[in-house]
Amino acid sequence: MSKNILSVDDSASIRQMVKMTLSAAGYGVVEACDGADALGKAKSSPVNMVVTDLNMPNMDGLSLIRELRKLPEYRGVPIIFLTTESDDEKKKEAKAAGATGWITKPFKQDQLLAVVKKVIG
Amino acid sequence: MAAGDPAETFRQEAQELIEQLEHSLLDLEQTPTDRDLVDSAFRALHTIKGSGAMFGFEAMAAFTHHVESAFDQVRKGKLQPSPSLVGLALEAQDIIRAMILEPDCDLADRQKTVLDQLAQLVGSAADAAGQEAKASAPASQPAQKQRWRITFSLARDAMVMGINALLLLDELRSLGHCTVTALTDAVPPLAEIDAESSYLRWDVVLTTDAPRSAIDDVFIFVQDDANLSITAIDLSTEGRLGEILVDRGEVPRRVVEEMVASRPPLGELLVEAGQVAPEAVKSALAEQKHLIRDQADSAKEAKAASSIRVPAERLDELMDRVGELVIVQARLKQQANSNGDPLIKAVAEEMERLTSELRDTTMSIRMVPIGSLFSRFRRLVHDLSRDLGKKVSLVTTGEETELDKTVIERLNDPLVHLIRNSIDHGVEGTAERLAAGKTGEGEVRLEAYHSGAQVVISVKDDGRGLDRVRIQAKAEENGLIPPGAKLPDDELFQMIFQPGFSTAKEVTNVSGRGVGMDVVKRGIESLRGTVDIGPRSGGGTEVTVRLPLTLAIIDGLLVRIGHGRYVIPLPTVEECVELSLADDARSSGRSFLNIRGELVPFIRLRDLFASPLPADPYQKVVIVSLGECRVGLVVDQVIGDHQTVIKSLSKLHSNIKAFSGATILGDGSVALILDIEHLIEWAQEQTDVAMLEAGE
Amino acid sequence: MEVLTLGLQGEIFALEADIVREILDLVPVTEVPNAPAFVGAVINVRGRVVPLCDLRLKFGMERSQSSRDTRIVVIEVLIDGEPTIVGLLVDKVYEVTEITADSMEAVPRIGLRWRPEFIRSVGKRGADFVIVLDIEQIFAPGPQSNDLTAA
Repeated sequence: MSKNILSVDDSASIRQMVKMTLSAAGYGVVEACDGADALGKAKSSPVNMVVTDLNMPNMDGLSLIRELRKLPEYRGVPIIFLTTESDDEKKKEAKAAGATGWITKPFKQDQLLAVVKKVIG
Repeated sequence: MAAGDPAETFRQEAQELIEQLEHSLLDLEQTPTDRDLVDSAFRALHTIKGSGAMFGFEAMAAFTHHVESAFDQVRKGKLQPSPSLVGLALEAQDIIRAMILEPDCDLADRQKTVLDQLAQLVGSAADAAGQEAKASAPASQPAQKQRWRITFSLARDAMVMGINALLLLDELRSLGHCTVTALTDAVPPLAEIDAESSYLRWDVVLTTDAPRSAIDDVFIFVQDDANLSITAIDLSTEGRLGEILVDRGEVPRRVVEEMVASRPPLGELLVEAGQVAPEAVKSALAEQKHLIRDQADSAKEAKAASSIRVPAERLDELMDRVGELVIVQARLKQQANSNGDPLIKAVAEEMERLTSELRDTTMSIRMVPIGSLFSRFRRLVHDLSRDLGKKVSLVTTGEETELDKTVIERLNDPLVHLIRNSIDHGVEGTAERLAAGKTGEGEVRLEAYHSGAQVVISVKDDGRGLDRVRIQAKAEENGLIPPGAKLPDDELFQMIFQPGFSTAKEVTNVSGRGVGMDVVKRGIESLRGTVDIGPRSGGGTEVTVRLPLTLAIIDGLLVRIGHGRYVIPLPTVEECVELSLADDARSSGRSFLNIRGELVPFIRLRDLFASPLPADPYQKVVIVSLGECRVGLVVDQVIGDHQTVIKSLSKLHSNIKAFSGATILGDGSVALILDIEHLIEWAQEQTDVAMLEAGE
Repeated sequence: MEVLTLGLQGEIFALEADIVREILDLVPVTEVPNAPAFVGAVINVRGRVVPLCDLRLKFGMERSQSSRDTRIVVIEVLIDGEPTIVGLLVDKVYEVTEITADSMEAVPRIGLRWRPEFIRSVGKRGADFVIVLDIEQIFAPGPQSNDLTAA
């Protein structure tokens, strides 16, 4: 059965690229445009993995990650964040909030697929 | 959502963002202390930069980066949003817009001006780096096998944070010959174990020709808390246990040498003597085995790749046995589940894994490249071209495409007929071709390739093409369609596959007696495939055969409707959701579910199958996809995955297209296998009939 | 001719013995939705999925009610030129017995409740009439109705 991924980004073009890449590889994709939207969708249809931007209106990525980790059904679900900086501070902060790993922007399709395969196979 | 190109979506998005940015900046001019405006400007710049770099606008992104950094400084309170800063930002925004919408415009001067002035304002040297240069790939070293010892553990809460050690190990395995030892010394007694905590540590020995960076890459998300150590092991080690332990620093050499003198196994002695922990010996022994296997592998590689011939019936027998094994394994699984004994269940699970692997291996043994078939056709084309006095060449692609052995054999006759047809009726004689402005030699192309779970084989020619008028006339003459009926092309051309159909004006020895195409279609359908015929753009005809990759065993999802159980082919299944009582009650007539914003139509299988039992209170919907469209199938219960050995239905049921076959379940009863495409057609027919009767 | 005699709603019919493969007790039956009532189900015979035919339905009788005597007679018959394994659901199986040539009479054209095309001959077994079925005709595809009662 296909694995489902929640893709969160306020940029429509990034969401589109992520959806195209992941659906073509056989993953189901749920989209959200900000942290609040994502949290609602995460609760109503649990997914196998979350990919989220950090900088978003209406609840940013870090808060989203913290909120997701509070949900019992999200313990153990890989959460990957998108970051434009190779800033180690940000990565530490995100990991402390409960993130599993990251992808640096800009990224190509195969880089996205490699990370997804890495964390959910 | 804009269809197609994300870059196009980005352009539209960027325009909106730039407008937003402009508004924020203009407002900021009026109220420079408004933090929200600063944030909004920053966010717009950040998104434009980040997304832009993704879709090919690297130069624009690099430029925007500077403006974004300036606004970041403002956000942090280190820089004041002075009128000159805002003015610069507005100029920058113009430049950005131009860079996106008019990429040919030369903006170098304007850019430089802005950047210089920005640098002055910001006060620090503009980060010359801008966008970080991507680290270039390390100078490629000749791939050389290297042996590594990798040890790691995970942070206690790693699993909760989404790390899956098994996937890490799988990644290591994908790099080469890998031996993994899990060390359990930190695992607390059962009563104290927290199921969400990670207590294991792993010793891995890996022989690979991948570079060290590939190994580091496996651990990039965990390396901070993983106690990770990666060391190279000398390839030339003899592989004696004592050496390994000494090398690992577990025991001094002197002690090993003293022990070697006595007879009992070294590892045992060391442990008994308390010199070494049992876990260390266990792990070192694993490394030793790994080394020995490495040596055997190198010896094997030195020999040429070998293969053996096997009589075909033996392979068939093997497949039959594997099929029976799969069925018995299902019974075992069922017994183990109802029995409840965890030890038996563990064995049953192991059996299931082994059976599945065995099935995969046996399947692959039977796969043969289609090139073997194609090469037979060269002679055929040569002879036909000579016999019919036409110049024809045969071009083939995809010879390496693999198919199940039996399928290849059963494809021979249909393909021969299709090629004969092409050459006899499709390709014209030399004179006619030249008169039509074509080359004197006709071409027949055979192509084969994999597409998803199917194999596609096409026979194309550059001949006369299909004569729509003659086909329509013949179809009417044979009573297949009423006179003057207007059919879409693909339906009309399907008429060619009806028995007795041949528009050939002359019946040659080769083909044209009208017995061919319907036999071809039946042959293909008996392989559970489909065949279509149509014109080629540019002239000529194309016949496309689609076949499923495996005949005998598929992965299925077992479901229950009423008393009966059915199998849905797993590749078509996307997800399962519950049919809430509200949705169930609400829909009559049009039945749709709202799945995350998308309307998905659903079919109540219990209605379609006329199940006499009342519906289960908590029905499930299995969402399947067929090409682009998704449909929900409402069932009473989803039972689970099932390795399905396909048994064909007899002639008496073969015209019920909704069921493509049957299978025997673990308890000996029969489950029917659903053919999703025809099931949906049937359901559609029912709704059409119902609508007719309701007088719509 | 050697035949297997069987009972359907009190009437005795017979099949040529050489097409009979085996006789089974009632086994779990899987319904096939949308199939004609006559062949509405399939069963598992030694790992093979075999259609199950309710002969009673072919004779316009009511659907079989299973009893202790109900049996499934597995036969091999030519359908559309292909040998096919089929199961027949019958109320009772009597025995394999000889019907001698001289006890067989031609099928009378009138006065018979059953469609003559599906009957090969009528014989006698002791005091009872035994109707020997032409199985191939019963399974022959064609625009026949699924009902053997004489029009």
